[in-house]
Amino acid sequence: MNFTLRVWRQAEHDAAGRFETYEVAGVEPDESFLEMMDALNDRLVVEGGTAIAFDNDCREGICGACSMTIDGRPHGPGGGTTTCQVYMRQFDDRATITVEPFGAAAFPVIRDLIVDRSALDRIQQAGGYTGVNAGPKPEPNANPISPEDAEEAIDAAICIGCGACVAACPNGAAMLFTGAKITHLGRLPQGQPGRFARVQDMVDQMDSEGFGGCTNFGECEAACPKEISIRVIGRLNRDYLIGVLNHPRNPRGGMKPQ
Amino acid sequence: MPSHDVLVIGAGLAGQRAALAAASAGASVAVISKVHPIRSHSVAAAGGINAALNPEDSWESHAFDTVKGSDYLGDQDAIEIMCREAPDEILYLEHIGVTFHRSDTGHLGTRAFGGASQARTYYVADITGQAILHVLYEQLMKHHGQLDRYEEWFTTDLLRDDHGHCVGAICRNLRDGRLQVFDAKSVILASGGAGQAFKPTTNGLIVTGDGMAQAFRIGAKLMDMEMVQYHPTTLAENGFLITEGARGEGAWLLNADGERFMERYAPNKLDLASRDVVSRAEQTEINEGRGFPDGTVALDITKVPRKRTLEALREIVNIGRDFAGVDITREPIHIRPGMHYMMGGVKTDSYGETNVPGLYAAGEVACVSVHGGNRLGANSLLDTLIFGRRSGEHAAARAKEMAMPSTAAAKLTDAEAQIAAIIARPAGGRRIAAIKEELGTTMNRYCAVFRDAEGLAKAHEIVRGLKEEAATAAIDDRGSVFNQDVIAAIELGYMLDVSETIVVAAQERKESRGAQFRTDFPERNDDQWLKHIDIAMNGGDVPKVDYSPVTITRWQPQERTY
Repeated sequence: MNFTLRVWRQAEHDAAGRFETYEVAGVEPDESFLEMMDALNDRLVVEGGTAIAFDNDCREGICGACSMTIDGRPHGPGGGTTTCQVYMRQFDDRATITVEPFGAAAFPVIRDLIVDRSALDRIQQAGGYTGVNAGPKPEPNANPISPEDAEEAIDAAICIGCGACVAACPNGAAMLFTGAKITHLGRLPQGQPGRFARVQDMVDQMDSEGFGGCTNFGECEAACPKEISIRVIGRLNRDYLIGVLNHPRNPRGGMKPQ
Repeated sequence: MPSHDVLVIGAGLAGQRAALAAASAGASVAVISKVHPIRSHSVAAAGGINAALNPEDSWESHAFDTVKGSDYLGDQDAIEIMCREAPDEILYLEHIGVTFHRSDTGHLGTRAFGGASQARTYYVADITGQAILHVLYEQLMKHHGQLDRYEEWFTTDLLRDDHGHCVGAICRNLRDGRLQVFDAKSVILASGGAGQAFKPTTNGLIVTGDGMAQAFRIGAKLMDMEMVQYHPTTLAENGFLITEGARGEGAWLLNADGERFMERYAPNKLDLASRDVVSRAEQTEINEGRGFPDGTVALDITKVPRKRTLEALREIVNIGRDFAGVDITREPIHIRPGMHYMMGGVKTDSYGETNVPGLYAAGEVACVSVHGGNRLGANSLLDTLIFGRRSGEHAAARAKEMAMPSTAAAKLTDAEAQIAAIIARPAGGRRIAAIKEELGTTMNRYCAVFRDAEGLAKAHEIVRGLKEEAATAAIDDRGSVFNQDVIAAIELGYMLDVSETIVVAAQERKESRGAQFRTDFPERNDDQWLKHIDIAMNGGDVPKVDYSPVTITRWQPQERTY
């Protein structure tokens, strides 16, 4: 197969970026997208150019490192997959394919297709953890967890932190990510202490990082490689409302979890 | 200049657990990781974590299974510690928010795993590593007041003072290429294995033996390096892992004739014998012509109820679909043994201390040795957590007794000159990627399931040649922002050092035990070889070989059958 690639090149954060066009020929349909990129990089280097920088590691869809927007879709065509799980057979022969970094106001470009996703960490750091240290560890079977709660918690905990939801959202919102974290902890008995402070702290941080608001486009759910349901955003909104109404505290006030 | 009581290098499960333990004990801690912590390779651990938590189970039973699985090369004092402390570790994880599988009654559920006499593997679907890693990372963040994270920083050298003590590290910020000295009272290496020295491997691209080589270069001993685990079920196309959980849930191995061949090799445990046993059986079937033309046998997951597969094995449903084009709930998938894990590593005691004062190691980079000749499935997550925690606690206590060291600026200048020299290498010759490729295929050809003197000698010759070639191999990218070329050149050096120790140890052990099967010495020989092989650096020459005894507490070696 043959393709025309339009790839975003940017030497560093402060440099100007632009699309470069590359022709690739003789691609096997069963080659993965990243294998195709590897081959292109090998060629660029041999020709005296610079390889296209991109994040990747496990190449089996679990580490969350790879982060390309392909033809306008984070992680490319197909549902429920990461960039490394995209195959060339999913494209039409002789297609022009546009490759960009995950785009969002809160994700500055570091180089080429690599972006800085640490804003997600700062949301997490604002309170996305179980907060209680005191006391002996309870015997877990003393507090049975219903299969429904356990399943909903796992379906949220499956988030790999790739940021596709942010890149897919027209507003650049991080609601699916944050909702997944809130739902994971909020469905478990261990997550109950500090539950309503947690949601307010995380939402405050989300707002201050420059993520947009949610207006129910639903693009995040469609782009999520782990197919996390948009229901987690409902959970987040509900907990946030209860928190603000029944457990109010001054933003960044005295309730920072320890 | 950053200075900390404890510097942890690597932020997978072992590194994060060590950092949390040290911080909880009051130490100031820095964690250095060449990737974002949640991309660490622990994230790919699928199947689960072993602990004798059920009332009808016992830690002694878990320990015996581990000793037998190790082919009696594991140190039994360390194995006892690991298995005794396992239940508490599961409770700790549960407490901080890991969503372990719950049965219909809401209680913790277990699955069966290879080489175990009881179903004692606790799990989160088939994303156990990811689930634990993410929750530990949340806890790291909770301790951010005393725990500094340096993410996407690459360690180039460990630092020693004039007394030979390890006093920190030099690391490169990948974002801007700047080098920085990190002073520390103790350093805990938790940087994982060396799977990328083999091709194919189940390991991610970042798993390049960094810590093993760094420790080796400052005088730490490596142990059990010949013991390389080939996992029985990796995908023919690309070496991806199909979790042992699949067989734990009831999947069968079949040869091309449709025969359940494990009945001949392990009549009692069948598909759930130890990994070394199953991988050898598969390779024998393939070598003797009973495999498929693509050099594989089949894993039949259709034996597992479809609903159960979709619930408990969801990642491999996706992997089968995306990478092999197979719906594993409806048809068998072709698999073969593939390089998966290093039992060997930096030799430590049960507190993670190496023979270099101030240097600790935990997790796959280390060799305590709890896995000996062969690791049981779901014991590696346990190893990372137990010995990560013990290292962190010990290093924190040590920090209270000593003053902060400070490193001469000259060390930084030396490191900068080394990097500059790599960047300045003249063009010509083969590229780094080509040398790495030859290393990987060589190791996979000669240091795999079956080995012999002739093949190992050939491998050694090739590795020595590649070392010479790598020392001058040019790189293409001369920039400072996210220069992945410079890192690849340094990583190649690490992999070559580690590969030579693997080959030398495999040549030395003239018997078959655990993962080491010598076709020229096919029997286990307890009289001569019930001992560890230690490897130490010897300048630029072939590494030095030494021996150390295996610690036996209560289980004398027996014949090993499954």
